[in-house]
Amino acid sequence: MTDATVLRLEGAAFTYPGGAGVSELDLAVEAGEAVALIGPNGAGKSTLLKGVLGLVPLTAGSVQLGTAAASVNASTSNDSTASAEPATHARNGMVSFLPQSAELDPDFPISLEQVVMQGRYRGLGLLRWPGRADRQAVREAIQTVGLASLAKHRFGELSGGQRQRGLLARALASEPRLLLLDEPFNGLDQANRDALIDTIRTLKHRGVAVVVSTHDLELARLVCDTVVLVNGTQLASGPVDEVLTLGNVQECFDGVGVEMDEHTLVVPGHEGH
Amino acid sequence: MNLVDALFGSFAIPFMGRALVVMLVLAVVAGLVGVLVNLRGLEFISDGLTHAVFPGLAIGLAVGGTAGLIPGAAIAALAGALALTWLDRAGITSDAAIAIVLTATFSVGVIVVSRSSDYAGELEALLFGRVLTIPPSEVVPLVVVSLVALAAVALTLKQQLFRAFDARGSRAAGDSSLVLDLVLNAAVALVVVAAASTIGTLLVLALLIVPGAVARLATERMWWLFPAAAAFAAIAAWLGLAAGYAISVGGGFDLPAGSTVVGVFVIGYGVALLVRVLLDRRHARTGRPRPTLEDAREARRGAEMAGLLSTPLVSPRKTS
Repeated sequence: MTDATVLRLEGAAFTYPGGAGVSELDLAVEAGEAVALIGPNGAGKSTLLKGVLGLVPLTAGSVQLGTAAASVNASTSNDSTASAEPATHARNGMVSFLPQSAELDPDFPISLEQVVMQGRYRGLGLLRWPGRADRQAVREAIQTVGLASLAKHRFGELSGGQRQRGLLARALASEPRLLLLDEPFNGLDQANRDALIDTIRTLKHRGVAVVVSTHDLELARLVCDTVVLVNGTQLASGPVDEVLTLGNVQECFDGVGVEMDEHTLVVPGHEGH
Repeated sequence: MNLVDALFGSFAIPFMGRALVVMLVLAVVAGLVGVLVNLRGLEFISDGLTHAVFPGLAIGLAVGGTAGLIPGAAIAALAGALALTWLDRAGITSDAAIAIVLTATFSVGVIVVSRSSDYAGELEALLFGRVLTIPPSEVVPLVVVSLVALAAVALTLKQQLFRAFDARGSRAAGDSSLVLDLVLNAAVALVVVAAASTIGTLLVLALLIVPGAVARLATERMWWLFPAAAAFAAIAAWLGLAAGYAISVGGGFDLPAGSTVVGVFVIGYGVALLVRVLLDRRHARTGRPRPTLEDAREARRGAEMAGLLSTPLVSPRKTS
């Protein structure tokens, strides 16, 4: 493992207490590199992301984040202390997670600026309140996603795409080394997609590692270096052009009527891209 | 009696002055904690705590007299906060189950109180308070309990707001939802403890819920919610005590002080709601962007307020 490797999974499995999960994961993400996770709904893409965050227990293999690692032997698969380890890294400000903004209460009385400031909280801890450096970081993050004119607006008044960019700004404000994006393009119009793609490129230039789950092949082709196909287990991984073939994708989506071209993936029963 | 006497002069009388001090402290702290109760949708848990505290009060009174009230209530409140946090996290969403547990604890309290000689008087004092007859020795403990509740919320405020807005994001950022829930529920429990001898364990629910709801009507700016709730609570507590005094002494119609205060809180909410609706209408007519408080939500909150007064036992759980 080189110093630049930010995330490495080796034979990793993340399993919910109920038994659902995703397994046989092997991937490495270097600083400044982006990985796309592609697979049908319910394939375990979100589970993988939450597993890296420590929100879903690691039940096999190992996770290495930066220089710290958690691993589980087959014989001690119920070892909860090992699986709790990656959450510590989230606390240390290493990993940021972009949730789906649709889950948030649009009536909540909070401004975009205040949402983005939440990204600074874990660096501040309980007792300290935001200072000048924090406000500066918040301003820069909002500028990076192109929403400077809306900073004082109430978060719930923004469009879906603007909210998504706002949450991305919150993730940026925490200055992560690894950014996890869960279906960031769902329901976005072209302008918001372009803004998001620009932001991800900017982040890569700054040396942030990115893992993004998506149905959007354009996103994978434009900004990702590696693609991982997932459906319960890891089916294939490698450079975008080698892995993202019709045959591979059909196998991943169980072959049911998948169509794809340069930009999109059309799967019956799936919304969006 | 003129207006100035009612609003200011009456509080020169020692028992009225003491009542004003404890009521102001309690109302402001309950209002500030109540903003988080509102944002988290914890009205049901708050209601539960008001009932869970009751047997602790009753046992404290039976064991140690009035000096046993606060320790007994504090123990019951913290146990109740633990139990309700656990029920909530275990995903036990059955209102029936929680309501059964709470009425059970309530009846235990009534049985304990019924052993004492002045059954009706003590029951009434615990449920509806005795703000005008608080002995001077109880003022400091009440203020201390209130301030501990305030400190618990103030220390975790950033994180509480983060969790209220985005529970998963807060967990992903490494905050412990268990610790945050315990701290907030314990703060609510301590407010109920402080309320037990001032306004009573049942009526305190209005102090916890109304100022936060009024603040939501008054502003959509996060940090303004807290001064708005505190200011409303302080003014309503003061006006409530003054009105109770004026009507009882000047009008010759004996009004219970605690209930009068709650009445003023609810009237204040009604006025705030009316103003909000009228402002929204005007915004709609003048074609400016309509403030986003929706009528449906207001109607629901209004119904909750009405339910609060007519059936104080268990309010419907909010689906979040």
